[in-house]
Amino acid sequence: MAKRSLIGSGVAILLGLLVPLFIKSYWLHVSIMALYYALLAASWTMLAGFAGQFSFATMALAGISAYTSALLVLKAGIPIWLGMIAGALMATVVGLLVGALVLRMSGPYLALFTIAFSEIVRITLNAEYQLTRGDMGLTVPHLYATVSKVPYYYTILGLLVASLVIMWAILRSRYGLFFRAIREDEQAAAAMGVNTVRYKILAFVISSFFAGVAGGFFAHYIGTLTPNSIMEIPRMGLVIAMSVIGGIESLAGAVAGATVVEFLQEYLRVIGMWRFVIFGLALVLILRFSQNGLIYPLYQRLAGRRVELRREPELELELEPEPKPKPGAETGT
Amino acid sequence: MEFFAAQALNGLVIGLLYALMAVGLSLIFSVLKLVNFAHGECYMMGAFVSYYLATLFGVNPILSVFLAMIAVFLLGAVIHQLFLKPIYTERVERKDEYAILITFGLGIFLQNLAMSIFGPWTKRSPDFLPGTTLLGFLTVDNNRLVVSAAAVLIVTALLIVIGKTFVGKALRAVSQDRDAAAIVGVNSQRMNLLAFGIGVALAGGAGALIGPIFLISPVMGILPGIKSFVIIVLGGMGSIKGAIIGSLLLGQIESLGSVFFLDPTRGLAYKNAFGVLLLAIVLLLRPTGLFGERHVRME
Repeated sequence: MAKRSLIGSGVAILLGLLVPLFIKSYWLHVSIMALYYALLAASWTMLAGFAGQFSFATMALAGISAYTSALLVLKAGIPIWLGMIAGALMATVVGLLVGALVLRMSGPYLALFTIAFSEIVRITLNAEYQLTRGDMGLTVPHLYATVSKVPYYYTILGLLVASLVIMWAILRSRYGLFFRAIREDEQAAAAMGVNTVRYKILAFVISSFFAGVAGGFFAHYIGTLTPNSIMEIPRMGLVIAMSVIGGIESLAGAVAGATVVEFLQEYLRVIGMWRFVIFGLALVLILRFSQNGLIYPLYQRLAGRRVELRREPELELELEPEPKPKPGAETGT
Repeated sequence: MEFFAAQALNGLVIGLLYALMAVGLSLIFSVLKLVNFAHGECYMMGAFVSYYLATLFGVNPILSVFLAMIAVFLLGAVIHQLFLKPIYTERVERKDEYAILITFGLGIFLQNLAMSIFGPWTKRSPDFLPGTTLLGFLTVDNNRLVVSAAAVLIVTALLIVIGKTFVGKALRAVSQDRDAAAIVGVNSQRMNLLAFGIGVALAGGAGALIGPIFLISPVMGILPGIKSFVIIVLGGMGSIKGAIIGSLLLGQIESLGSVFFLDPTRGLAYKNAFGVLLLAIVLLLRPTGLFGERHVRME
């Protein structure tokens, strides 16, 4: 299984590297946006699909990062790359605060709070127009001095691959096991000695960081930032649709879903708003009738494997006791 | 003083409309144990149905509110039968998560559908009752009086149905213990259908009532939907009394808060943020809300 995924990922990355040779300007822009959404969908999938925590704040956190970076670069004159890092860290800190406030409770509180939080961030950024220029759009310096989109393409591809590798490593580690234990049965996980609140917050914080990475890139790629272009609720719905269509329990599925939906979205421009009606309908029908999504099961079938129903085989819980204390702590006692 | 009273009255009218929505949401939560993330969109659908009934077919505006409520009830019934029923028949895994995503997805779907069919432009419904009335020293728009009266009437009717009738007793039974209710012969599926239908119909009624006061548009439901989430957490999830008190409270906080905001020029812009601030405080200090019981999960 691991070997096959590795080959699959290798082929995907190789294809990704070759894209700018074949597509030009406008569709290259679409490809860049697809990768941007892939990063957002993957960060949402990690939280929702693996840790079972449903947040609507992914876009708001991306927006916070985008504005943090843009304003720091504009007002404080720091280098752009430093701004992007600061933006991602800001998203992480905000994610930590939101998570610490809401994740003590289980149930729908996270979803309830984050949807309200997203709208308020959007309203605040619109209201503080002296600083953010609100709907007029904040002009943000571009990451590269060239008009070519190729460097941007490779930047977001690199960010996406690096982020996926980190997420994958986290999910493969003991932490990933804790996340999935919480997803499957929070009470049972707690009874087995998992500090569920801490790991829920951890999952939320990690997810926030990657949303922040995407947001920082977006700000310095697109050049004109408006609160609505990042963090409207319907846009959050689109990211969720991408993740669900791809297969909610797979990072690769999120990437595939984002790519497919973003390209379809551009191809279907002729039918106007109706394309979003179709995506909305696809979202609810897939949730209702095929909870594994469309693309990931298809891939599994093509790869000649039986589609396993939702659960992955390695999910047999072999929880070890709490993580080992840090080496420093041992010598201290 | 007059200004203060006028603001308080405005807050009361808005609070009553919030109550209509939040009571619906709370009823749905108490019986189905799920949060309807499409609540704001049901509110929007109610507004458009009544708008088109009144403008295209010349139906009396007040009658069109009730017809809109029936239409949204039917919409809710369809949603329940197609998407929510499987939650309670053991065919869906991880019911809580499914319920969040499916209702959110339906909301997005309805919003985009409305955007495609009705267009993104704002519209204004015809007046219920044109003109103004002098209440003491305050001049009040007649529409607002009609809206307040209708909201009070609808909520009172619902409270009587829930408190006094057999159906209400059955609804309360399912909300307390689904299995025990089934043992004594209550068809819990039917009660789910009823609670969801009534719940979204109340939201639809609120949307239809708001038509002549504010403008209607496909995205009109997002903020009121979010506010009703705030209110049910504030009042206590599933508590109808809490939802009513929370609504009136939020109406006043928004109305007075926007006037007495530190920087009055931005007070209006931040009006919508007060609710979330309130939500954060409630979650921090008293997550069960004013009248909440411990949160019950779906079995």
